[in-house]
Amino acid sequence: MDNSTRVITLIFLTITLAALAILTQFARRKRSAFPLRPLPGYSAIPLMIGESIEAARPLHLSFGGAGVGGEATALAMACAEMVLQVARRTAIGIETPIVSGSDPTFLPLAYGTLYRAYQSRQHVDRVSATAVRWYPSLQRTGGLAFAAALTGTAGAERVSGNILFGSYGAEMALLLDAGSRGQRRSVAGSDQLIGQAVAFGMATTPIIGEEMFVAGAYLGDDAGTLASAVTIDVLRWLVIGGMVTAIGYVIATRLFGGG
Amino acid sequence: MNRLWSILAAAVAVGFGLITLFGLLLFPNPVTNALLQIAAITIAVSVLIGILNLYSVHLRRLFTRGRGSGYSLVMLLAAGLVIYLWLSGQDEANMTLLETVQVALESALAGLVLFALVYGAYRYMRRGVTWSGILFTVVLLIMLIGVLPGSGTIGQIRAWLLAVPVSAGERGILLGIALATVVTGVRVLIGQDRNYRE
Repeated sequence: MDNSTRVITLIFLTITLAALAILTQFARRKRSAFPLRPLPGYSAIPLMIGESIEAARPLHLSFGGAGVGGEATALAMACAEMVLQVARRTAIGIETPIVSGSDPTFLPLAYGTLYRAYQSRQHVDRVSATAVRWYPSLQRTGGLAFAAALTGTAGAERVSGNILFGSYGAEMALLLDAGSRGQRRSVAGSDQLIGQAVAFGMATTPIIGEEMFVAGAYLGDDAGTLASAVTIDVLRWLVIGGMVTAIGYVIATRLFGGG
Repeated sequence: MNRLWSILAAAVAVGFGLITLFGLLLFPNPVTNALLQIAAITIAVSVLIGILNLYSVHLRRLFTRGRGSGYSLVMLLAAGLVIYLWLSGQDEANMTLLETVQVALESALAGLVLFALVYGAYRYMRRGVTWSGILFTVVLLIMLIGVLPGSGTIGQIRAWLLAVPVSAGERGILLGIALATVVTGVRVLIGQDRNYRE
């Protein structure tokens, strides 16, 4: 890593840290100070949870290829937050949600999250060891075996809907296609562009890009998660400001012959 | 007691996280390398957890005779065969199984993805006449016609679409994910993540 990259990384981390610390304090004091724009994906999830409870059929949540220890670690944490929020609400029903993934490192995270969610509702006894499922897949052929296994699971377990957050490629089309044929609602998003495109076209309600990281802010009531959603917005505006400044600088130097 | 464990977990995660971050960013040191190696070992252990999980899920389905128990039986037999071949040192037979069964099956699935995608595009256009639907259809037509030889202006429009708006959109989405990743990482580093607070 060269020095300029190091400096930029440190500046970025410092700004993020400062923004998070300050905004968390503000959010604790007055949550209404940060109204969140409505996101259709998160508006659909409570409805899916309601359907799952009423029909006594499990919801299916998936991490895709996201796991701990690699590039998708942060995404796996975001997926875990989603699992926590959904499982807390489904804990009043009979069926425990099914959580799946193709990277084995998601297993401890998913188990722990599901356990905490049910513990918070005093229903730990309902968390089954088979509620979290690993479906391995070959790296070189994408997640096709994983997708095929999930389409089978969705049918066998009569899942009521699919919430697909995480890392997916084109194989997401198989999952969403099977879901739509089975009249199951789906909320889907991916950190891969192909998977994101498939989710946009085929999911009942798509989630786009960084929206996957704000489940806690939209579905929970925690000041920290709200602050992180606002921090993402602050950083985005900083990046936009930086880009506009850079473009302005280039145009000015060309027009006025500076530099 | 739970609270104490949470504090301890947060302290360990934050401490090791900061040591690794500083090691990677500012002062490369052997401690950081050792921590990264421990992480790699932990990841390897998680594969074992995964195999146990796989067996427990399918054995349970088999014994409770749930829907799809036939598939579970096939899975368990196949997994048992692969483990037997590995234990008996027949790596070549194992590779043959992988190449002739697994890869062939996944290649067939790749073909199915195409049909699923075409059907998905068809369903998207059936949702009704919306501006996004019209845009999708127009862009799809330009993309398809643009690859034909002698497509002239449409080919140029296709090249421009790929170079400018598509590229800009891609970068926008990836930048958004990158920013959110940074924020999530910092939350973990400062112990604000819910995993350490509850």
